[in-house]
Amino acid sequence: MHTLRPFAAAILLCGAIVVAVTARQQPPVEQPSAGGPTSPPPVATDARSPRNASYEIDARLDEAAKTIRGKETIRWRNITDLPTNELQFHLYWNAWRDTESTWLRERRIAGLFTPPQADAWSTMDVTSLRLREASGQTRDLTTDMRFIAPDDGNTKDRTVMSVPLGRSVGPNESIEVEVEWTAKIPRPFARTGWIGDYYFIAQWFPKLGVLESEGWNTHQFHLATEFFSDFGVYDVHLTVPRRFVVGASGRQTTRTDNADGTTTHRYQEDDIHDFAWTASPDFLDLTQRFEHLTLPAVDIRLLLLPEHRGQADRYFTTIAATLKRYGEWFGAYPYGHITVVDPAFQSDSDGMEYPTLVTGRARWFAPHTTQLPESTTAHEVGHQWWYAMVATNEFEHAWMDEGFNTYATARVMAEAMNSNRVESRYFGGFIPWSFRDIPVTRIDNDRLAAFRFNAEADAQWTPTFQYWPATAGIISYNKTALWMHTFEQRVGWPVMQRIMGTYFERWKFKHPRPSDFFDIVREVTGHWHYWFFDEVYRSSNTFDYGVQEFLSERVDEKTFRTSVVVRRYGEATFPVDVVTTFENGEQTRETWNGQERRALYVYEKPVRGTTAQVDPDHVLLLDVAYTNNSRTLKPSSGKASLKWSLKWMVWLEDLMLTYGFFV
Amino acid sequence: MTLWALGSGLWELGIESWELTARSSWRDGWRRVIAAPALVASVFALTFLLALPLVITLRGMLAAHLGGSLAAETAASGINYDWWQEFTAQATGLGTTFTPSVIGFATVLDNISGVLDARVRIAPLATALALYLVGWAFLSGGILDRYARQRPIHVHGFFAASGAYGVRFVRLAVIAGLIYWWLFAYVHPWLFDTQFDNLTRGMNTERAAFLVRAIFYVFFGGVLLAVNLVVDYTKVRIVVEDRRSAIGAIAAAVRFIRTHLRQVLALYVLNSLTFLVLIAVWALIAPGVGGDGLSMWAGFVVAQLYIVARLLLKVQFIASQIALFQANLAHASYVSAPAPAWPDSPAAEAIDSSPRSA
Repeated sequence: MHTLRPFAAAILLCGAIVVAVTARQQPPVEQPSAGGPTSPPPVATDARSPRNASYEIDARLDEAAKTIRGKETIRWRNITDLPTNELQFHLYWNAWRDTESTWLRERRIAGLFTPPQADAWSTMDVTSLRLREASGQTRDLTTDMRFIAPDDGNTKDRTVMSVPLGRSVGPNESIEVEVEWTAKIPRPFARTGWIGDYYFIAQWFPKLGVLESEGWNTHQFHLATEFFSDFGVYDVHLTVPRRFVVGASGRQTTRTDNADGTTTHRYQEDDIHDFAWTASPDFLDLTQRFEHLTLPAVDIRLLLLPEHRGQADRYFTTIAATLKRYGEWFGAYPYGHITVVDPAFQSDSDGMEYPTLVTGRARWFAPHTTQLPESTTAHEVGHQWWYAMVATNEFEHAWMDEGFNTYATARVMAEAMNSNRVESRYFGGFIPWSFRDIPVTRIDNDRLAAFRFNAEADAQWTPTFQYWPATAGIISYNKTALWMHTFEQRVGWPVMQRIMGTYFERWKFKHPRPSDFFDIVREVTGHWHYWFFDEVYRSSNTFDYGVQEFLSERVDEKTFRTSVVVRRYGEATFPVDVVTTFENGEQTRETWNGQERRALYVYEKPVRGTTAQVDPDHVLLLDVAYTNNSRTLKPSSGKASLKWSLKWMVWLEDLMLTYGFFV
Repeated sequence: MTLWALGSGLWELGIESWELTARSSWRDGWRRVIAAPALVASVFALTFLLALPLVITLRGMLAAHLGGSLAAETAASGINYDWWQEFTAQATGLGTTFTPSVIGFATVLDNISGVLDARVRIAPLATALALYLVGWAFLSGGILDRYARQRPIHVHGFFAASGAYGVRFVRLAVIAGLIYWWLFAYVHPWLFDTQFDNLTRGMNTERAAFLVRAIFYVFFGGVLLAVNLVVDYTKVRIVVEDRRSAIGAIAAAVRFIRTHLRQVLALYVLNSLTFLVLIAVWALIAPGVGGDGLSMWAGFVVAQLYIVARLLLKVQFIASQIALFQANLAHASYVSAPAPAWPDSPAAEAIDSSPRSA
């Protein structure tokens, strides 16, 4: 015993060391559990989505180095009918690795380029990628990774990575991959990064593209596009310094203080397709509960920065107004919670949406009549419907989420926030002035003003990543909101609501395409409305109708002949009404199909005509020049121009006197 | 707090003689301005008439765009913001300056921030501004001469003085212009672009960034005021002392400011406070959009009264600085002195002191 005891101890010790070292160097080989990787994972019976791309992530923020080191396990199921022998990943943060990325090249081309400073760059490096086989063994694929550029062939772009699997993954087959990566956090770029001790971390982990029946849909990161991914279950552990208040997609389930002064926050959520988080020691953590007779309750968490403390009620009111109206109009918000982040100044993280987490936008000095934080907050909360649940491909059809949501936001704003006024900002943009005489209208929130400048920039059917980057937003947001509002005015809100509600219910937690929406329009209205969608979706033509001539002449003692020539100045066509009003108040209303270049209407009546209007009810909101839509024989342009030029005169005199300081 | 109360407050703090001089100069300035209403009317006419051609041009643009449209009716009776945005979308030249900033008090914010942010003005406006500044530079000789003499000099005297000092003021304007140009071409971008960006790049609170900007405004504004002060007293010395050399007058102005710094600054503060009071009142009463017809004209008249008040303050600034200068450095050889008030002759004294009949 005496002789054996040291020997046994030595063997045990060596064994322990070997086990420990092995355990550190190689993950233990696990036995496949029941329903292992190759069988379809157990999708919960209450699953709202296919849950075919689920992530378990464990990430640690190194505040000093501004890096994130992470490890993720992805459980992916092939839900197409075709097998695949590769995986494709987005590595978004490589868009700011150097100036040769497609994202920065596009920014240069669009004339928006300012060279990033030295500490602004970011990277995302996958350090290990292993496939867990059905046997439970893992196979290292790290050396097989390669960057691809499916959109533009830019060999310097590293935002999409392909990994050959060495075998085929068949329909409904599942696999599990383990990925380790390190990422350098950028100074804010495209709504992600750090500034001071504020972090907004989005598109931050290696993320699978979407396998479709046509193959992988994994676009490079473009200046004008956002994202697209499959739904899944997210279970994320975030380890950050203890002083940080953390907010994230999902609901926090645990919080563990570690011995090294950090805290690990665990967030979980089902049926989401992305995960973003934020951290700042300055957040005020405020909560309210949204309750409604027929809609599920929602716990609202507002992470508010102290300098916007006075705007908490404005945030909460807007969030509740949006949850209420979108819920009533389109369908219920099912997650039961939402986190709204009040983003830091210069963080570039304002006005962005992620599943169950959005960012608002507030200014330090914000009179109660200004649009912020309301308009942005309503818009981003609204994205929970048009993006988070109805998850369209934002690389290709950004108009389907941004446009739909801009349209719906304008509706909410018109109903709930109608005290907003147009504002201008002075002194470097810090000091606002709200014009009490100029209310912000629904059309303003449809963003008609900016659309006028770029109405022809692109045809909407063009894949969004191919839009001209500088004007992509106009086509995605503004044009869609305007044509949807126009369509609403044509078919009526009850029909429009049925269209949107049906579309939402049918396509929530799925990836609809444009044709799916058009099918719903046909289903609800009974018509394809080709004539309309050909113009607004399939062409870049502009709408412009006007009254070209308006005459009213005496023919004889008892008769006046009134002639109205209405004209189609733009290339796009739309049926419009033409209303002529006579001295005795009588009106005639004609419906012109708007196809020909012009139409002539002649009336012989005992009274003179006074006014003529084409599209008098302003149904066609895409009309880029509405002023020419009417003509009167007693114009007030003299009075109006006098009044406004006198206003301008005061401004000019004041300007002269201000510069008079120098003499 | 009224200016008077502020003045009294300073007095109680023991700031005595120099404050008194500043305050009396401020009052004296007003007295001189009120005594020469035609001068204010003239500079108002200059302002109005220079603006008028541009106003007529803009009116033509607005009228042409509105044409026979019914949009004009709502634009006349109130506001038609849809039309306005449509107009702006196609506007060029002067039309691009027709923004909501022309309404009410936004005018003041837009123009002051335009100067402090060194906003580039479009060519037609820049031309009008240049003409206006040249006009002021030319008339300044006459204006200063009138306020210094404190007696009517009539039109020919006014323009004679303007002409006499005009060349000197042009030389001064060249020097001052070079300094202002350097400030706006180099110092401003260095401060508000380079340094502001460097200092605020890492800031994640807007109020901190605004504080930096506000400090820069104060600093840059302070530099402008300092240059302005020197230029003002240079003009005073050129006119009051009939100095030929602009450079010599600048040196003399600096000397005067240095030796009477507290009086000069106190007067500047008083005048600036007066300006702020006017701006505050204007913020309260500035007409909004208004309608057409009578309300339009009423709004316009009120606005023109504000412009007149601004001009009054501008000339009062000049008059009070002359008063301050003359209160400190008056001697008989000054060219632009008040009309001499001869002492009574001995005979008159004898007559005056003789016994009067009951």
